[in-house]
Amino acid sequence: MVQSAKPVPPIWCPGCGDFSVLAAVKKSAQELKIPVHELVLVGGIGCSGSIHNFLEINGIHALHGRLLAQAVGVKLANPSLTVVAAGGDGDGYAIGMGHFMHAFKKNASILYIVMNNETYGLTKGQASPTSQIGFEGNVEPPFHSILTALSIPAPNFIARTFSGDPKGMTAILSEALRFNREGRGFAFVEDLSPCVTYNDTYKLWREKVVDVAKLPGYDPTDRKKMFQLCLEAVEEGRIPIGVMHRPKEVHADGLELKLVGSTLGPVRSEIAVEPNLAAYQKLLAGLA
Amino acid sequence: MTTPAARTTPISAGETPPAERAPIELTDLSVMIGGQGGDGTLTVSDLLGRYFRKHGLYVYTSRNVLSRIRGGHADASVRASRDPISAVKSQVDTLVAFDKDAIEMGREEMAGHGFILYDSTTFQVDLPNSAGFPFATLVGGPLGQPIFKNTAAYGALSVLFGFDPTTTRAVIEERFKRRGGEALEKNLKALEIGRKAAIEAPGVAGRFAVAEGDAHDLILTTGNQAVALGFVVGGGRFFAGYPITPATEVMEYLQRYLPAFGGVVRQAEDELAAVNMIIGASYAGARVMTSTSGPGLSLMTEGIGHAGAAEIPIVVADCQRVGPSTGQPTRHEQSDLSHLANLGHGEYPRFIVAPATPLDAFGMTVDALNLAERWRVPVILLLDQALCQNTTTSERFDLAHVRVDRGKRLTGESVAQMAQYKVYELQDDGVSPFAPPGTPGIWSEVTGNEHDEWGHVSVNPANRLRMMRKRMEKMVRARDELPESRVFGPPSARIGLVGFGSTSGPIQEARQLLEHRGVATRYLQARTLYPVPTHEIDPFLASVDVAYVVEHNYTGQFARLLRETMPAQHAKLRSVLRYDGFSFRAPEIVAQIREAA
Repeated sequence: MVQSAKPVPPIWCPGCGDFSVLAAVKKSAQELKIPVHELVLVGGIGCSGSIHNFLEINGIHALHGRLLAQAVGVKLANPSLTVVAAGGDGDGYAIGMGHFMHAFKKNASILYIVMNNETYGLTKGQASPTSQIGFEGNVEPPFHSILTALSIPAPNFIARTFSGDPKGMTAILSEALRFNREGRGFAFVEDLSPCVTYNDTYKLWREKVVDVAKLPGYDPTDRKKMFQLCLEAVEEGRIPIGVMHRPKEVHADGLELKLVGSTLGPVRSEIAVEPNLAAYQKLLAGLA
Repeated sequence: MTTPAARTTPISAGETPPAERAPIELTDLSVMIGGQGGDGTLTVSDLLGRYFRKHGLYVYTSRNVLSRIRGGHADASVRASRDPISAVKSQVDTLVAFDKDAIEMGREEMAGHGFILYDSTTFQVDLPNSAGFPFATLVGGPLGQPIFKNTAAYGALSVLFGFDPTTTRAVIEERFKRRGGEALEKNLKALEIGRKAAIEAPGVAGRFAVAEGDAHDLILTTGNQAVALGFVVGGGRFFAGYPITPATEVMEYLQRYLPAFGGVVRQAEDELAAVNMIIGASYAGARVMTSTSGPGLSLMTEGIGHAGAAEIPIVVADCQRVGPSTGQPTRHEQSDLSHLANLGHGEYPRFIVAPATPLDAFGMTVDALNLAERWRVPVILLLDQALCQNTTTSERFDLAHVRVDRGKRLTGESVAQMAQYKVYELQDDGVSPFAPPGTPGIWSEVTGNEHDEWGHVSVNPANRLRMMRKRMEKMVRARDELPESRVFGPPSARIGLVGFGSTSGPIQEARQLLEHRGVATRYLQARTLYPVPTHEIDPFLASVDVAYVVEHNYTGQFARLLRETMPAQHAKLRSVLRYDGFSFRAPEIVAQIREAA
């Protein structure tokens, strides 16, 4: 057995919501029997983004906000890998917002987990894009990732979990990873992950969360209905959790499916000159 | 119906009728075609280029377009010569004008024997050595649309230059065969309309004769096409980019070429995403590149620094244009060098390599891919607008010297023999063997944070020193593997010239002009710009009394780098600079040298 990097102890505060995510990722990967060497975790910058250091896993510690672009690059280069991007709400919804929106459109089969604690924990408690009005002097209304996600008409898997419900989270992450591994597209899971030091919301969120599956008319294949249910819950001061969108349609892009289904794909294609000589010569001969 | 010839209104002011004198024989000629965007000036340029190629001449075409789709003045120039050329000619032999601006702008550059051929549909001028034909009206009647006026102008040009009619026609057939049918038929008719008008006008037919050349087995290409082809044969299989002038064609060519080889090309949402996508793909094991220009490069600076810190091999092709900010998107400059040499916050190794011609760009793209993976660093392929977009005759790209070197890359079998796998292992040459994810039995942790050999974040000062030295010393260790400078001219010459990129074309031509006047010069074409190849440039500078560093920017960026790295040669260096958006013409380099000498 070759010794690779050993996991290091988490840097998180005791009780941090991110521990639940770490445990759920581990469990889901085991449940799906994903070999460690085929799993890549791309972490953002912030407390949550260090998650890959705590697992025996391929990991990239990406730039702040750029983890999705790197994760998409990994997946398209080698579609046989299972790719998880994980970061915080500041990373994803502030500096990384452009990439966040486009990840739904690109629809690469990767899982993106945002650990939302409504604050910048690592830099000691500033307001984030999801902070409530009044938090640390915040005057801007909070951003709702689920409503935004539902507004982009692409066949993505969309869900929200709560660190106070690790069992529910594992089930959803497992479903998301299965969705990815079937090449069906992008899976977005926001986890409500309280920051026990700067924004301890466990008690508040436990009271406010509502399982969307229990709401009347719940149908995760009906985007319009789900948008309505989520918006109503938000307007009533509740926080919807559960699976928000489970598309009927199969992955629209087809690019990765084509690559997975053939011997091609940049990494597995032969790049030496000799095996491609005839095709290269033909290409060069085509120049007038 | 009135015949087209009857409607022509040629103007010939006091010229000797052509029948009474022999045609002016041209061995190196330049035709400038100007008009409003959408007038089809580029088509005329393309048609002429094709004719001259069939005539065995070397060809160099450039374009001066505005950053808009239609409208505004745009011009193109075609140069053809019996001798190899890689620069725009300083004088125009024939000007083709579809608008008045073209005449205003082109007149300044006309040769003494120069001739103006213009579309007199909407304006007339009273100038010597000119002829106006209402091309738009002439074709508009019989063909229903004025758009064929450019092909009619090509027809008139063919008469002016005494082109062989069969070859002239073959060019039209070749150019429009893909569209076929009506388009081809109408263009052939337009050609004849233009020819007939010119033949019937006084003072036009056979005014010039174009010498035949023997340059046959060549291709017409651009730097952007060469880079795209170099990427494919160099094993590049993942490309992400964002549209930006003048780099976009690299992405467009690869969208056409790469899928057949199992490669992936993705257009990203911005340059931040483009560079990060190739970083991810490189980590996953693919050979990668992106292409951009100044504004995109500014955004990519963040990602390139990350690749430098995390030791992830990437190639960034920078097609320089006029900066800063949006600058002049369609114009030429070489002003990104200082930024690239100091790219980003913090310190990390990077190689900057600069080809001069499409052939050089083809080979150097392969070199860049090899160097990036061999040394696990970001490599900048430094190009410029003239190299990227001007069309030039080139030797065919040859596969004989193309090889793929992935450096110390590990495979499943080699990993199985190892006791431990450390992704940033300290080895003698500073390069750690790497295995991409998916290699059974191991995993790789990479990070832009300072890290130990395992890829774990580390703030240990002793480790920081080891890792900084490991990375930074690559710039010294790699020296002998970086593209070598080329030196032209006799060792006895006392005047030196130094340059890089497409500027090599006008510099070489300036050397010839000086040689004709009995002034010997020596030229060093730098092909690696950073780290500065002092081991090549220092002896060169020592061998001359004075060295002119010729570059397209205001501050003399390359000269500054040379002064900084070779302070002893400080007094010998002089700058020859141009930064108005156009590339050097050889005579102005000569003039600047003579002025200073």
